[in-house]
This record gives sequence, C-alpha cells and structure tokens, in this order.
Amino acid sequence: MRILLEILLLFKRKMLETIRQPVWVFMGLITPLLYISLFSPLLRNLSSPPLSTGAVLDAFVPGVLTLLAFIGGTGAGYGVISELQTGVIERLRVSPASRFSLLMGTILKDIAAFLVPSALVIIIARLFGFKVHAGGLLVMLVLLSLLTAIVSAWSGSLGLILKQAGSMAALVAGLELPLTLLSGVLLPISLGPKWLQAIAHVNPLYYAVEASRVLAAGTIGSPEVFKAFAVIIPLAVITLFWAARVYCKAVS
Amino acid sequence: MNAIEIKDLRKSFRGKRNQKTVEAVKGISLAVKPGEIFGFLGPNGAGKTTSLRMLTTLLPIDEGEAKIGEYDVKRNPKEVRKHIGYVGQLGGTDMEATGRENMMLSGRLYGMTNKTVQKQSEFLMDLLDLCDIIDRLAKTYSGGQRRRLEIAMGILHKPDVLFLDEPTTGLDLQNRANLWDHIRKLKSAGMTVFLTTHYLEEADELCDRLCIMDKGIIVAEGTPQTLKREISGDVVSIKPKNDKENIEYMFGGDENVLDIRKEGGKINLYVRDGAIALPKLFNVLKAKGVELESVSLSQPSLDDVFLKQTGKSLRDTGKETSI
Repeated sequence: MRILLEILLLFKRKMLETIRQPVWVFMGLITPLLYISLFSPLLRNLSSPPLSTGAVLDAFVPGVLTLLAFIGGTGAGYGVISELQTGVIERLRVSPASRFSLLMGTILKDIAAFLVPSALVIIIARLFGFKVHAGGLLVMLVLLSLLTAIVSAWSGSLGLILKQAGSMAALVAGLELPLTLLSGVLLPISLGPKWLQAIAHVNPLYYAVEASRVLAAGTIGSPEVFKAFAVIIPLAVITLFWAARVYCKAVS
Repeated sequence: MNAIEIKDLRKSFRGKRNQKTVEAVKGISLAVKPGEIFGFLGPNGAGKTTSLRMLTTLLPIDEGEAKIGEYDVKRNPKEVRKHIGYVGQLGGTDMEATGRENMMLSGRLYGMTNKTVQKQSEFLMDLLDLCDIIDRLAKTYSGGQRRRLEIAMGILHKPDVLFLDEPTTGLDLQNRANLWDHIRKLKSAGMTVFLTTHYLEEADELCDRLCIMDKGIIVAEGTPQTLKREISGDVVSIKPKNDKENIEYMFGGDENVLDIRKEGGKINLYVRDGAIALPKLFNVLKAKGVELESVSLSQPSLDDVFLKQTGKSLRDTGKETSI
C-alpha cells in the first residue's frame, strides 16, 4: 500500500529529527522522572498513617503516564509551524504524497516519543514498589496512545491554522491547564467537591485518567475502561477526519 | 503540445472584515513551449508568486484554465503534481536531515525505489556540485548550497516542468551566476523551466522568453531581445544639478529624441542614435546654462521596457538598487 509506505517514510523523518535533538530527548526522559521523584513524596503524607512509596506510586504512575500522553501530543503544532516557515510543508504538499500521511507521520512520532519515556517510568517506578500488571498496562498504553494521537492531530492542525508560534503557545497553555486540572491527573478528582466532579465529566482526559488507574491495578473489564474507550475512540476518529481536512486545505 | 498553457487565469483574496477584496491575478494567458526557460518578471506584489502557486496546485484557481502538458490543474491536481518539480521561495529543505536524506525522502515520496533515487542522486550531485556536502546536515549549508540541493530535489523525479520561485533571491552575485549556469544545464537536458524573478539581469540572461507582470496583469511578452528592440535606439540619462529645473521642454522639438521619461531626479531620453544625439544635447544644455550632475549613455534594458509599459522603474519597486 502506497499510503503505508508514505506514512513510514514520514514517520522515519520525524523520528530522525527528534533523535538528533539531544536536549529534547533528555528533557523528554527526565520530566516524568522529576514528577515521580519530586511530586509523589508529597502524596505520601496525605493520609495518616502515611502510605508506602509503592502504594503512592500505584495511584500516581497512571496519572503521570496520562500526563505524558497528553503533553506528548501538544508539541506537534510547533513542529508544523517551523516546517511552514522553512517551506518543508509546501515542498511535501506539491509532491504526490497523500496529506493524510503527512498528518500520520507526526502522530506516530508523537506516540513513539510517548511510549519510550513511559516504559522508562514504569521500569523505574517498579524498582520503588509499583506493582506491574502487564495486561492492564498494555491496554492502558493503547488507550493513552490514542489520546496522544488526538492531541497531536489537534496541535498539528492548530499549527496550520494559526501559523504563529506565539498564538499557538497561548492556546496550548490556555487549554492544557484546565484540561489537566479537571482530569485528576495529579490528584484524584474524587477528592474534590461535587461541582468539580461534574465539570470533569465533560473532559475526555478525565475518562482516560480514571481508566488508567483501574488498568494499572490490573482490572481490564471494568466500566471505567469501557467508558474511556467509548469516549476516546470516536473522538480519535472525528479528530483525524477533521485534521486530514485541515491538512488538505492548508495554504502555504 | 505546450508544456504550460494558461487561459484567463484569475485569483482574488478576500480581505479581512472591511478591507477590500484584492485581485492578485487579473486574467493572464500564456503558453510555454517544451524546453524553454520562461520567466515572469515583475516587482514584488505583481502576482508572480500567486500565479505560480496556482500552477503548482498550492492555491485553488478562482477562474480560468491551466494545463501542465496534457493535465488540467483544476481537474487533475494529482497527476500534475507527479509531473512537476517546484522550488518555492522558502526552499523546503529539512534542516535537521542531511542532503542525502532530504533527496531520499523526496524521491521515495514520488514513488521512486531506493535504488533509482540513489542512481539519480549521484547524477544530480555531479550536475549541481553537491558531492562534498551531501552527507552533512542541511542546516550547515550556505544559501547557495541549500538552493542547489532544493533544485536537485525539485528535479529528482524527472519532472516535465520545473517551477522556480525567485530562485536567486538572497544569493550573492557569484552564487547567482553559478546558479544560472546550472539552470541552463537543465534546459540543455530538455527540461522546461518556469521561473519568477524581480531581477532584470536574471530575466535578461536566463530566459528564452518572458512576461513582464505588474499589478496582476501581463504588460509585455516576448524574448528579451524583441522586448528591448521595441525601444529602439539608445538611452541617454541626464541628471541636472538643480533637479527642480524643468528641462524636458528643451528637447521636445528634436527629431532624434523619440521619448522622454522622468525617473526620480533623472531624465531618460530615448534617442535614435546616441552618437548623433549626445553632442546636440550638450549644445542645447550649454546654451541654456544647465549644469549636469551626471550623464550616461546606454542600450535599452528590460527596465526601460518596464518603465515604458508601467510608467515606473522596476528598480524602485524591486529590492535591488543597482546592477
């Protein structure tokens, strides 16, 4: 299939570009570890008696992974903007390559760039007592990869529409904060008042976080997991469809 | 069959809110023969790039027809893309990749196999002088090197027509002349080249035929020689010391003077024969006591053609200030 070859070629291009930026690679790997080493100790003393490190990680690691999945996708737009400015996108647009492959190349790179640090987080957390349930984690990574794809497609399309790093940064920051705060990524939403829990229900990220917690504990067939896939899969389909249209139309 | 055929091509851009609609291209028609180097000459904002972007499927066509070879740009953009090469003003080199990786990606996206890309790359590296730098990251290239790589990528898949948008903008004189040589080589290999430029010398040196474009319309078309021949004779440019002085009237009666045009503080006199006209002019000026700051005699250039057609000098509107 031609389109698969195109996607593979464009994915390889983005991967090479990523690997050649050592600062990015380093920061991408270090950020989740910072969360775990600097934030998770705060959680220990939330209950009395204090929780064990392992128990804290059981609750916190799924959140960190969801955060990684979400943030991993947000960068796509900046890449698009710099490629607009260097003319790379224009050059690819006059080639017979399908617009959908352009989009998918970046999305797959973002997924790969999410999975590698995630694996590292899981391995390190395990050393400190995080209980690994392989099946649950695998389903979780599939779910979160879909989340990265959604965010990446959004970000890339917004980059094409806004064309400016400044407006892009403002929009991403403006969306990122409420979405993460209302998802229970860092602390479970169930700790909050009823109204907060109610708002959280319109946030797709919330379902991903809830499902991740359950999946990390090893339960695959729970209602949280079904709900999350029921939200994320249609959302991914709609987003990809819309983003492909933006990529087709985009000028310059 | 023509390599490119355009009939009454039009494009407008809708302004934001209260701004008026901008008609960037107001109905242009032309035909380019296979194997020609054809140029669009005009100042910035003349509509050259907009026209080019319509021909290369990057911008939808508002009205009119455009064909590349046998393929209609509006109806069959996919086929058109397979048969053209395009080097935009921005270039499009992937800076984080080496020259070779850039070429490989381009070629593979056009459906070539690894092997054919390699073979064709070797050939182009020779042709465009890229052998020494091909395995370095593109971000380390100079402007001229990058341009040559971009042209190599533009012709890797052996397109029927190569579109170049301001190919030498930003290059120094030496690199520009060097690139002209390379573009001529492409022509001798049988390729049709369509380029835009706001450099007079470039159009003059490089193009077999050209269109002069201004404000969205074609104001003149022909070979550089015929265009210049339309302005017969020589051009005498004089600049009086006191440029408020009105001295055009002094030459109105002279049958040697065909046309008089003011350009800034200068007065251009289009004369039949410079050798006869010049002494006469000096006599007139001396008799009237006009002192001159500068005087020059030259053959007509494409700028004179531009001036005659549009009433303004390309040098004033373009980026370039002197030859």
